[in-house]
Amino acid sequence: MNVVRIAFVTLREMSRRKLVIAAFALTLVTALLTGWGFYALVHQTSHGRPIAHSQVLASTAFMIVMLGYMFNLIFALAGAFVAAPALAGDIETGLLLPIATRPVRRSEIVLGKFVGIVVMLCAYAYFAGMIEFAIARATTGYWPPHPVIALGYLCGVGITMLALTLLLSSRMASIAGGVTAIVLYGLAWIGGIIGDIGTQVHSVGFANAGTVSQLILPSDAFWRAAAFHLEPAAMRLVIGSHASPFAVAAPPPLPMMAWGVGWIVVMVVCACWSLSTRDL
Amino acid sequence: MPTVSTDAAIDVAHLAKRYGDVDAVSDVTLRVERGAIFGFLGPNGAGKTTCVKLLLGLASPTAGGGTVLGRPLGDRAARARIGYLPELFRYHDWMTAREELDFHAGLIGIERSERDRAIDDVLETIGLSERADRRIGTYSKGMQQRVGLGVALLGSPDLIVLDEPTSALDPIGRIDVREILRSLKARGATVFLNSHLLGEVELLCDRVAIVDRGRIAAAGPTQELVGVARGVRLKASPAGVPLHSILTRYGIPRDDGDWIVVDAMTRDDVPQLVRDLVAAGIALHAIEPLTATLEERFMEVLQTR
Repeated sequence: MNVVRIAFVTLREMSRRKLVIAAFALTLVTALLTGWGFYALVHQTSHGRPIAHSQVLASTAFMIVMLGYMFNLIFALAGAFVAAPALAGDIETGLLLPIATRPVRRSEIVLGKFVGIVVMLCAYAYFAGMIEFAIARATTGYWPPHPVIALGYLCGVGITMLALTLLLSSRMASIAGGVTAIVLYGLAWIGGIIGDIGTQVHSVGFANAGTVSQLILPSDAFWRAAAFHLEPAAMRLVIGSHASPFAVAAPPPLPMMAWGVGWIVVMVVCACWSLSTRDL
Repeated sequence: MPTVSTDAAIDVAHLAKRYGDVDAVSDVTLRVERGAIFGFLGPNGAGKTTCVKLLLGLASPTAGGGTVLGRPLGDRAARARIGYLPELFRYHDWMTAREELDFHAGLIGIERSERDRAIDDVLETIGLSERADRRIGTYSKGMQQRVGLGVALLGSPDLIVLDEPTSALDPIGRIDVREILRSLKARGATVFLNSHLLGEVELLCDRVAIVDRGRIAAAGPTQELVGVARGVRLKASPAGVPLHSILTRYGIPRDDGDWIVVDAMTRDDVPQLVRDLVAAGIALHAIEPLTATLEERFMEVLQTR
């Protein structure tokens, strides 16, 4: 019950601090801009003639993946920056003192914050994603193959960063935890690209480096799974062996995704343990 | 492990806490009886707040242990019966006072049906009934401390730990707190008061402990600590050799404005001194024993260490 209570307060805080309004307003602005872009694409002419519908669909499919990548970055940053002060800020200011002296387990405090931010991230991901997909369909007629699954994996990116940053936040100052998480995210991203290069040049070492980076921080694996479910099958034929973060030839294997979920659980458990064993 | 007794509100022995190379608390043994108002005094950096954190389970001791409300330090069941106002009080600035109290009422486990009444009672006690629906972020520091006091009082706890509860309050607020503490004592609650305001402690506390450099430097009933005889002072006439010679039999006389202070004289000698002065034809206008204030005792204890 305390987990629900703290999750509810976490959600209410994000709402009262205008975070929800800001995020949703910016999403609507983004939707308007992309809607205008898709509309312009449909009405684009080449040598005085409208471009072929198949070309519109192909361009829209690519744009949807790019939009997905933008949201991937947004969710990763949101997960990190919302989680960074979630524990550290409350410890630094002393806000946690009267709460931690209540009959509450410290793990309940961590789980409550985690659940609250997860709900917020997922609500935002599905709201923003579905609006973008709906606009693409209304203007161009394109609908990605597995939007719900893709958005689920995009949530995975945010939740991965949230879990990591929550652990860091239990021991590090807000800004230090947030920056550390973002740097690790960048390293994992670079690791994924090295893996792509390894696949293209048939270098086992490079390919393994990509896999290891995804094992250490599975955010890139979640993104690639999301991208795969946003791409139409025809697009994969074009990608062939020239994979990149924006063009995924094959999704990460299921064991990797299971590892990602397990990794999140371990991070949250470690955050619970970390807060429970530290002095306040 | 220390010997513990469950009938005391706080019973700890040889508590120690080390942060790196620094001994924040070296050796604190303390017993606070239920229903008492206990003053915990000491200079800055003496280890008072660390001690409070050890008692509440916010930090783990590196040595020693004990019980609070008959349960081990940091026990969750005991925490349901403890109210705490931290020295650096901070509450959700985006919440109203009523919402903050409601949040804590939920954490304590006050039933929803009883919650509104409990919150209204606390708001009334801390004098925030009319401003309860304003955001805490808009409150003055003093009002925020009142919210903290309300949070500590919520659910009628058996033990209330107050760390500098009047630091941000004006004189009216301090008088209010004094009344609240007296009412807590009247209903049988135990109050652990960590304060720099020695006058307040002297007025309110049954027992005090003075902590210095992480150790208890002095402890005992407040009246015993402040009741140490400091001689006698008197007004008598005529001044002169007969008066002086009588006084030197009992102590060391010296002038102090309109008064004559006889240092090192005990209270028990006062009746005989009066008889001697009257027999010598000296008019005695006033006489009173001198005792130390808590502030003087506090300084004395710290200087002798």
